[in-house]
Amino acid sequence: MKITARKAGLTGLAGVATIALLAACGQAPDAEAPAASGDVVDGFLPCIVSDSGGFDDKSFNQSGYEGLQAAATELGLTPKESESNSEDEFGPNLNSLIDQNCTMITTVGFLLASATEDAAKANPDVEFAILDDNSIEADNVKPVIFDTAQAAFLAGYTAADYSKTGVVGTFGGMEIPTVTIFMDGFVEGVEYYNEQKDADVKVISDLYTGEFAANDKAKQTSKTLIDQDADVIMPVAGPAFQSTVAAAEEASGDVAIIGVDADLVETYPQAKDYFLTSVMKEMSGAVETIVTDASAGNFDNSPYVGTLENEGVSLAPFHEFEDKVSDSLQGELDTIKAGIIDGSITVKASL
Amino acid sequence: MSVTTPSPELSVSASLESATVKNWKAPIVFAVFSVIAVVVFVGFRREGVSEFRFATGSDFFAIPPLVVGSTPATIVLSVLLLALTGYSVWRTSTARTTPIWLVSLFGVLFVADFLAWVVAGNFINATGLLLGSIALSAPLIFGALGGVISERVGVVNVAIEGQLLAGAFTSAMVASMTGNALVGLLAAMVAGVLVGMVLAVFSIRYLVEQVIVGVVLNVLVAGLTGFLYSTVMGSNEALFNSPPKLPQLPIPVLSEIPVIGPILFRQTLIIYLMYVAIFLVWWGLYKTKWGLRLRAVGEHPQAADTVGIRVNMTRFWNVSLAGAIAGLGGAYFTLGSVGGFTKEMTAGAGFIALAAVIFGRWDPIKATLAALLFGFASNLQNVLGAIGSPVPSEFMLMLPYVITILAVAGFVGQSRGPAASGKAYVKQ
Repeated sequence: MKITARKAGLTGLAGVATIALLAACGQAPDAEAPAASGDVVDGFLPCIVSDSGGFDDKSFNQSGYEGLQAAATELGLTPKESESNSEDEFGPNLNSLIDQNCTMITTVGFLLASATEDAAKANPDVEFAILDDNSIEADNVKPVIFDTAQAAFLAGYTAADYSKTGVVGTFGGMEIPTVTIFMDGFVEGVEYYNEQKDADVKVISDLYTGEFAANDKAKQTSKTLIDQDADVIMPVAGPAFQSTVAAAEEASGDVAIIGVDADLVETYPQAKDYFLTSVMKEMSGAVETIVTDASAGNFDNSPYVGTLENEGVSLAPFHEFEDKVSDSLQGELDTIKAGIIDGSITVKASL
Repeated sequence: MSVTTPSPELSVSASLESATVKNWKAPIVFAVFSVIAVVVFVGFRREGVSEFRFATGSDFFAIPPLVVGSTPATIVLSVLLLALTGYSVWRTSTARTTPIWLVSLFGVLFVADFLAWVVAGNFINATGLLLGSIALSAPLIFGALGGVISERVGVVNVAIEGQLLAGAFTSAMVASMTGNALVGLLAAMVAGVLVGMVLAVFSIRYLVEQVIVGVVLNVLVAGLTGFLYSTVMGSNEALFNSPPKLPQLPIPVLSEIPVIGPILFRQTLIIYLMYVAIFLVWWGLYKTKWGLRLRAVGEHPQAADTVGIRVNMTRFWNVSLAGAIAGLGGAYFTLGSVGGFTKEMTAGAGFIALAAVIFGRWDPIKATLAALLFGFASNLQNVLGAIGSPVPSEFMLMLPYVITILAVAGFVGQSRGPAASGKAYVKQ
């Protein structure tokens, strides 16, 4: 009697948990009705696998997903998607998409590199595009990377020019290449400013919160930077900029924030008064182009590299800070941008 | 028999009578840390001065920054550490214990020594360091208080993480919809209670292994809030996930005292509630009838039952109460700190709170101190990263966990939980 009750209890609880988990995994997007499209390769089916951030991370998973959706809508296709909750799901998720006859799979993030490489070797007929990684060399894998250091260089220069305290700071989610490239470019930009203007702006970097989350840790890290007199902060940790906003609100002085990945004034307008500018990565545009090309049978394995030149990376407008930055800044930035494009200014940081 | 010249056998028995076990643990730990201080801080001494600032901009007089030469400061502090070690060795050799104030003093001096070494050529804001420590500790303290109550009444609470997460999610959602942070606080408590009640029902009524229920609940809450976050909150961030943050409520005059003011009297409502909760749980647990019954049920339910305490009812309601406290801690993440929910934002705080419960030997005050230690270590890691410490950042990220493990392993010794914790009570 007792045992039955206990068993029933446990089964019930486990059942509820399972349903919740299934529900969490199985959210389907609003499927567009497939429309006939002329020049799509027969049987073309684009798919996408996220890393553990999920497709609603307001960051690169979401951008990649939106790019795929945009391309698919244009082509009248319904893409398949698979959201990974942890690293051990990458391989199984890829395989299940392949089993569902996906012909082109976009994998988001360098964490998926080894899983993507394995799947690409095992399935030479399937085309892969991997975002933020260029470690794989295979005929059916197209690496998509962004030289964000170039745009971060401009951001560093801007921060140094704007700073009144003479201290600027940046922190990252984890010490991984796609994060540090922003931070290194930023630091180089500040150093370049010091060189050009004979200034002595201090830049604090090398801080990591350990995760990509808008949590208290990120807020305290931001506060620490503010305590160290920094008045411009560039958080490179996904949604952690929200924590920096919270820290800036409580600071006694003015603190400006530089966003990454997307133009934060557009994605997070409620805090637009704090965003000096953003280092943008045109990920969704890149994915859209690559998927559209592949649909017409024009897939190749040459890496796509987003740069200032092809506008794969760029610096967002100043928006609310238009009147607060120095008048000559935009002109100087244009000159530096041209210098980076023609190679007269080298940005050392790279993936 | 003469008193002044005791016979040999009498003196032996007298010495046996007064024989005590000499516990060398404290002096050994002291010695290890003193050696580290001498070798690292003095051996690898660094040039320059270390500056410690105290002013926060709202004080009625600014304490001037403390500027010390790094090398002389580390030498003086290391010598003091050696002296304390010597004192501890002497006390132990004369069969006396090392009192807790000595351990605390040693800890403080060691941290000061470390800071004087690591800050060389830089400055840190000491008030900011402490403020950040409290902020990072707050959810841990709430979680640990919930854990203490729950375990003291005899139900192992592994679900603290789930309660924090449920509190964070619910408070963000409700406060956002009503536009009122106070309603959000209440909602967080209700959410914590609900998770606590599920734990209580399954472990008390259905006698399911309590650790398993706790783990399943954590997964359940993480899945549920993650799902609702992407579907409901994602559909309309402005309506569902932009809660008002709790404002700072500076207490007039008191809040302007340097250092103490910002820490104790310039906080948000939730931190004031935390200070009150720490006191109430301690007072309630040891000074009231409620606390006596609660502890009796956790230690010896059968005895409690025979004197007429309704064991399972006591357990049910106290586990629910524990849930309310932990839920309040969850609200800190959203209403007190960041002002918005993100998926799995508690990031394991519940498990650290659980460690604090055990580290604090199931005592509310000690568990609070354990949580504070962890918060301090996390924040110290931040601050050191910002000033460019000579220690690599990966190691700095480990610092809080290393300190926790060292503390649990080194200082606690055998810690014994409530005797009946984790065991369901069935009337014979």
